[in-house]
Amino acid sequence: MSRTANIVAIARREFMIRVGTRSFLLGTALLVVGVVAMAFLPVLIGKIDSVDATKLAVSAPEPSVAARATTTISTLLNPEPSGQSGAPTGSAQPDFEVAVVSDLTAARADVLRGAYSGVLGITRGQDGSLQFTYYSNDSASGRTPSLLRQAANAIAVGDRLDRLAIPAGQQATLFAPAAFVVNWADPARTDPVLSGASAAGQDMLAFGMTILIFMIVIMYGNWVAMSVVEEKSSRVMEVVLNAATPFQLLAGKVLGVGFVAFIQYAAVVVAGIAALVAQPAISSAVLGSGGPAAGLTQGLTPALLLLFGAFGLLGFLLYASLYAAAGSLVSRQEDVNAVVMPMTLISTAGYLIGVYASMGLLDARSTWVTALSFIPFLSPFMMLGRVSTGVAEPWEVALSLLLLAAAIGVAIWVAARIYAVGVLLYGQRPGARAVWRLLREGM
Amino acid sequence: MALIIEDLHKRFGTVQALDGVSFAVEPGEVFGFLGANGAGKTTTMRIVLGLMKPDGGSITWGGRPAHQWPRRTWGYMPEERGLYGKMLVIDQLVHFASLYGIARARARAEALEWLARFRIADKAKSRLETLSKGNQQKVQYIATILHGPDVLLMDEPFVGLDPVNVAMLKAAFLEMRDRGRTLVFSTHQLDQAEELCDSVAVIDHGRMVTSGTTLDVRRSTGHQVVRVATANEDRHWLERLPGVTITRDGVDYAEVRVADGVSPQRVLEAAIANGPVLRFEVADPSLEEVFVERVGALQDDERTLAAAGVGS
Repeated sequence: MSRTANIVAIARREFMIRVGTRSFLLGTALLVVGVVAMAFLPVLIGKIDSVDATKLAVSAPEPSVAARATTTISTLLNPEPSGQSGAPTGSAQPDFEVAVVSDLTAARADVLRGAYSGVLGITRGQDGSLQFTYYSNDSASGRTPSLLRQAANAIAVGDRLDRLAIPAGQQATLFAPAAFVVNWADPARTDPVLSGASAAGQDMLAFGMTILIFMIVIMYGNWVAMSVVEEKSSRVMEVVLNAATPFQLLAGKVLGVGFVAFIQYAAVVVAGIAALVAQPAISSAVLGSGGPAAGLTQGLTPALLLLFGAFGLLGFLLYASLYAAAGSLVSRQEDVNAVVMPMTLISTAGYLIGVYASMGLLDARSTWVTALSFIPFLSPFMMLGRVSTGVAEPWEVALSLLLLAAAIGVAIWVAARIYAVGVLLYGQRPGARAVWRLLREGM
Repeated sequence: MALIIEDLHKRFGTVQALDGVSFAVEPGEVFGFLGANGAGKTTTMRIVLGLMKPDGGSITWGGRPAHQWPRRTWGYMPEERGLYGKMLVIDQLVHFASLYGIARARARAEALEWLARFRIADKAKSRLETLSKGNQQKVQYIATILHGPDVLLMDEPFVGLDPVNVAMLKAAFLEMRDRGRTLVFSTHQLDQAEELCDSVAVIDHGRMVTSGTTLDVRRSTGHQVVRVATANEDRHWLERLPGVTITRDGVDYAEVRVADGVSPQRVLEAAIANGPVLRFEVADPSLEEVFVERVGALQDDERTLAAAGVGS
C-alpha cells in the first residue's frame, strides 16, 4: 500500500467524522455570524452615533454673530467624512446640531430639562470683544467643552477681523488651512503613508487575522491531540498501526483536521470579505453617503489575505504535528491538557506579544520584538501585525516564512519519532527526560 | 512457507519480557499460543507484526523476514477492542480495509456479507459503541480478516464472549483455516486450544516451555490418563493401586494419572475386581494437565482478570 494512499485514507476519515456533525455546522455558522457582525460593527456604531446628535443652543448679541457661531460650530465640531475632504456632508447625520435662541434664561432651563445638552451664551463686553459662557449639566472636562473652546476662539478671531473691517473674502484666505503632510521617519521608505481610516482599517484586519490564526492553532491543534489519544485509549491504534506507519497516521491526522480547519475558515473569510465589500453600499444605505468605515475595505489587500493564509497554514502544520506527538504520550483524555501545555503557553505568548505590538502597547520597532517575530513558533502571531503597521520589510516576511517552513520539517521529523514510540506506550506519562531518551533511541 | 520465530529477546527497563522465544507455525494450521498473564504473549505478537522492535531474534514467513511482506499479509486482533466507538460499523470496516489497499466498494460488499453471516447485518449503520460486547468482537474479527490476510494473529479472541458467540467465532476460525489461512491465537483457556489447535506453544515468564503438535505436547509428559467408573461408588481400591494418582474424583467418573511404565490395564483389572465397570477410557493428558505440570497452576485471580479482559 503506497504511503500517500494511506495518508489520504486516514485524512479522509478524520475529515468525514468531523464535517457533517451538528456541532461542526453549528460552530461554523456561529463563526460566520460573528465575523459578519464584526464587519458591520462600524456601520452599527455609526448608526447609533448618528441618532444621538448633540443639540446645542447658542444665544448671541447680534444676528451676524449668531450666524457665524452656527457655521463655525457646525463645521468645526462635525468631522468631514473620510476620503472625501471638502465635499458636502450630504444627508449624513451631523454630530452636532446648533439652534439659535434669543432667551438665554429660557435656554438654560431647557438644558436642565434635557432639550439641549448645553447652551453657549455669547455676550459683548465693554471693550467690544466677545465673551463666551457654556452652560451645561456636565463638568468642564468633557470633549464638547474643549471643542467649543476651539470654536469660540475661531468665532472671536473672526469677530475681531470684522471689527478691523477686513473683508469677508480676505478672511477666508486667512482661515485657509495650512499644508500639512505626514511622512515616514525612515528616509528609505517610499510606500505611501495611509490616511487615518485605511491605516486603522488594515491594523484592525491584521489584528482580527492574528486572533483567527491563534484560534486555528489552539482549537485544531487540540483536536489533533484528542484524536490521537482517542485512538490510543480505545486501542484502535494497534489495529491501525498494523496497516499504516506512524508517520502516515500522523500526517493523515494533521492533514484531515487541517482540511476541516480550512473549510471552516474559508467560510469565515469569504463571509468576512463579502461583508466588507458590501459594507460601503450598506453603510450609505443606512447612514447616507460617506459612512465611517470605508477603511476596512481599503485595508483588505490581496497581499494581506495571502499572508494570512500562509501564516495560518504553516502555523497550524507546525503546531498540529507537535500536538499529535504530545497526544501520543498520554493514554487518557484527562491528561491531554497537561501534555499540550508547552504548545499552549508558547502560542499564547506569541499571540499576546503580537497583539500588544500591533496595538502599540509594545514598541513594534524594538529589537526584541523584531527578533521574536522571526522565531517560527511566534512568527504566525507576530508578522501580520508588523506587516500591517508597515514595520516589516518584504525580505523579513520572506525570511520568517522560510524559517517557519524549515521548522515544520524538523517538527514533523521529531513528532513522527515521538509518535512512533509514544503510541504503544501505556501507563504513566513519561517525563521530559524519558521523551528525550525515546527521541534518541527510537523504538 | 512457515512462520518461524527464532530466539526473540525483549527487555522493558528492568523486566526481561522475552527471553529466547522460538516456535514454528506451519502454513494453514491453527496455532495456539499459551501462557499465563504477563508470560509475553502480547509482546511476541506485537513484535511479529512489527509494532515493536525486538532486542534480538528474527521472524520469517516463507523464508523472508516478516517486515518485508506487504502489510496486508497480516491481520491482527488485539485483546482489547480496537475500534472507533463513534463511527458507523460499516464505515470503519471499509476504512480499515482501505488502509490495506482494498477498493472501498469491494470492502463494503464483503463487510456486509460478513455482517450478515454473523447475524448483525442490521447493525451496519449503527455507531459501534451502541453494540453489545459480543457484537463488537464480531466486528473486530471482520476488521481483522476483511483484507484477506495470509496470517492472522489474534490476542485472546474468546475473552468475554458468551457460549453462542464463542461457537460462532470458532466456526469462522475454522472457515479461515479451510481457506488456507494460517491462524495464531493466544489464550489461557486451554480447553479451547485443545479443541481448535493443530499445534501449540507454551510460554512462561518470557521463556519457552514447550511447543509442537497438540498431540505431541499432550504426550510429552510420558504418562497417560485413565477415566474409570464402576457401579460400586466406593473408590478406595483406586487409591491403593501403585503408580496411580487420582486427579479428579467426580460423582460420574474418576480420572487418574498413570505413572510412566505402569500399564493402564492394571487399572482395568482392579476395576473389574471391584464391581461392574460402567466406563473405562485411556487417554493422553489434557493440555491443562500438561500446563499445570510444566508451568504450575494458573492462579485463580489470574483467571478472573483474564476473563475480564485485563492484563497482557
